[in-house]
Amino acid sequence: MAKLSRRAIAQYAATQLTKSDERSTFILQLAAYLVTTRRTKELNLIIRDIQFYLSEAGSVSGSITSATELTLETKKAIETYIKQQTGATTVALDSLIDPSVIGGVKVNIPDYELDATVSRSLTVLRTRFKKA
Amino acid sequence: MTDTSNISITELSNDLRSAIAKLETTGNLNEVGVVLRVGDGVVWVRGLRNAGYNEVLQIETEEGIVEAFALNLMEDEIGAVLLGEDSKVKAGQTVRLKGSVLSVPVGTELLGRVVDPLGHAIDGGAAIKTKQQGLVEREAIGVMGRKSVHEPLMTGISAIDVMFPIGRGQRELIIGDRQTGKTALAIDTMINQAKQNTGVVNVYVAIGQKRSKIARLVERLKQEGVMEQTIIVATSPADPASLLYLAPYAATAMGEYFRDNSQHALMIYDDLTKHAVAYRQMSLLLRRPPGREAYPGDVFYLHSRLLERSAKLSDDLGAGSLTALPIIETQAGDISAYIPTNVISITDGQIFLETDLFYQGVRPAISAGLSVSRVGGAAQSGAIKSVSGGLKLGLSQFRELASFAQFGSDLDESTKNQIERGQRLTELLKQPQYKPMSIWEQAASILAVTSGYFDGVPADKIKAAQAAMLTRLWADHKKDMETLDTGSKPDDQIKRSDCSRSR
Repeated sequence: MAKLSRRAIAQYAATQLTKSDERSTFILQLAAYLVTTRRTKELNLIIRDIQFYLSEAGSVSGSITSATELTLETKKAIETYIKQQTGATTVALDSLIDPSVIGGVKVNIPDYELDATVSRSLTVLRTRFKKA
Repeated sequence: MTDTSNISITELSNDLRSAIAKLETTGNLNEVGVVLRVGDGVVWVRGLRNAGYNEVLQIETEEGIVEAFALNLMEDEIGAVLLGEDSKVKAGQTVRLKGSVLSVPVGTELLGRVVDPLGHAIDGGAAIKTKQQGLVEREAIGVMGRKSVHEPLMTGISAIDVMFPIGRGQRELIIGDRQTGKTALAIDTMINQAKQNTGVVNVYVAIGQKRSKIARLVERLKQEGVMEQTIIVATSPADPASLLYLAPYAATAMGEYFRDNSQHALMIYDDLTKHAVAYRQMSLLLRRPPGREAYPGDVFYLHSRLLERSAKLSDDLGAGSLTALPIIETQAGDISAYIPTNVISITDGQIFLETDLFYQGVRPAISAGLSVSRVGGAAQSGAIKSVSGGLKLGLSQFRELASFAQFGSDLDESTKNQIERGQRLTELLKQPQYKPMSIWEQAASILAVTSGYFDGVPADKIKAAQAAMLTRLWADHKKDMETLDTGSKPDDQIKRSDCSRSR
């Protein structure tokens, strides 16, 4: 049997997860498939791909990274912005605190990113100076 | 006519403002991918589903952004080749699309400079700032945009200009074993462009050449006063395979600038064997299936798409030209190997250099039998054309006869004469390096030997006789020789003066 692509597995899994009433049974089936085909190493990538297909189906999950805790208002504004941009119906964003971003905010959703952090600006600046 | 009375300026202003605001916000959400694996200059990326072939990817490392270009677009991942050091790239790093394919700076600002394939100066001079950028990968000009090759590109090497003329816009391969004078031919051609003041811009591409060799070349070109009209795109064996692969394409983009601006440029690819080897390395690392001699299936396309960019443009497009002199190194004179046959079939002719001739002291060691120029007389100046008839055939017949005569058998008078004339011609066509000849020098010398005026001169004294004749001709018939130098066909008077000096 030809090896199924990661993308095909993820697409099928996303459809089943949104449809299926018995989610736990499907997860068990998927786990069994990965074990028998010796593809457990690809688990993280498959989860990312499932996340992508779920977001295409209207359910976006991701994270917001900032140097300090964001206010509820800001979080809400970001969620609205993500809804507008992706056309998603539900948006679930985890808040992460990372002082290395120095300032600003970074939003990660499957396959997309909004990086408005000071650390990113500094990296761009560093590269530009190196080139010159 | 459109009715403008209903348009409200306030409404229009509001609509425009909201449209701008929308565009500004959509621009911030970037598509990103993640580095999965990295090694040997190749990086594998997950995500970036909208990446295009050859599109530039930006990998965010701790030291700054490292660029790569996408070559393998697969269902689950992208295989990209790094354009720099891979030591800073690690799995898990973020990758973004640059939104453009590779481009390099192009323009007259590059003249006299030594650059890497990305257009960065490597000659210790100031940073290069050009007004324009040229696409590294660009489609070749179509049929209607071209004109047949008809103007000569004088190499200054009489053996080539007389027997295998090269035209502006032609692709002529220089092929031979190592140490047979391939690069020397190319360099002499570059020098001749400056000496004869042809206005042709030289672009020399060193693919995986030793840096010491490039330094020597630059020094020599400066000495000869050629560097001001030359661009050198250099890569060394220490550079990543991706840069070696890109070098000829980037250099062609630089040459195309002159072609597209009604000027003439000469590309020298030194050499495409190393280029094919670099591409094979990249392809194998990208896990593309190997074919003959482990080269990938598209190795023909690798060179055909590069050399097809050399062209003579139509008058509507400015009549500029891009001539290519690719170099191929053979192993033990085997021109039927994979890469040599590919490039031979792509180009409009080849100049084959023989090791045996080289060690016999025949330099340039051009094989009269195996070399050919498919453009032929169309790209030959009148002066040279009028004296070159039958020369190639005569020389190849002589070489065949000479090898036969080695057995010491008795020869008839006519064969002996043919051999003797062949020996004189061979001596005459010998030329020291860095001494390209002008049109009148070539035409007068060939006329003298083919008309039999040197028949009384022993073969080993031919060069001295030639030098004496040329000095006298220049002193006594300067005006005629200047006319001859313009490339026009010599009239009877010029021929007579040439003959009288030879005697």
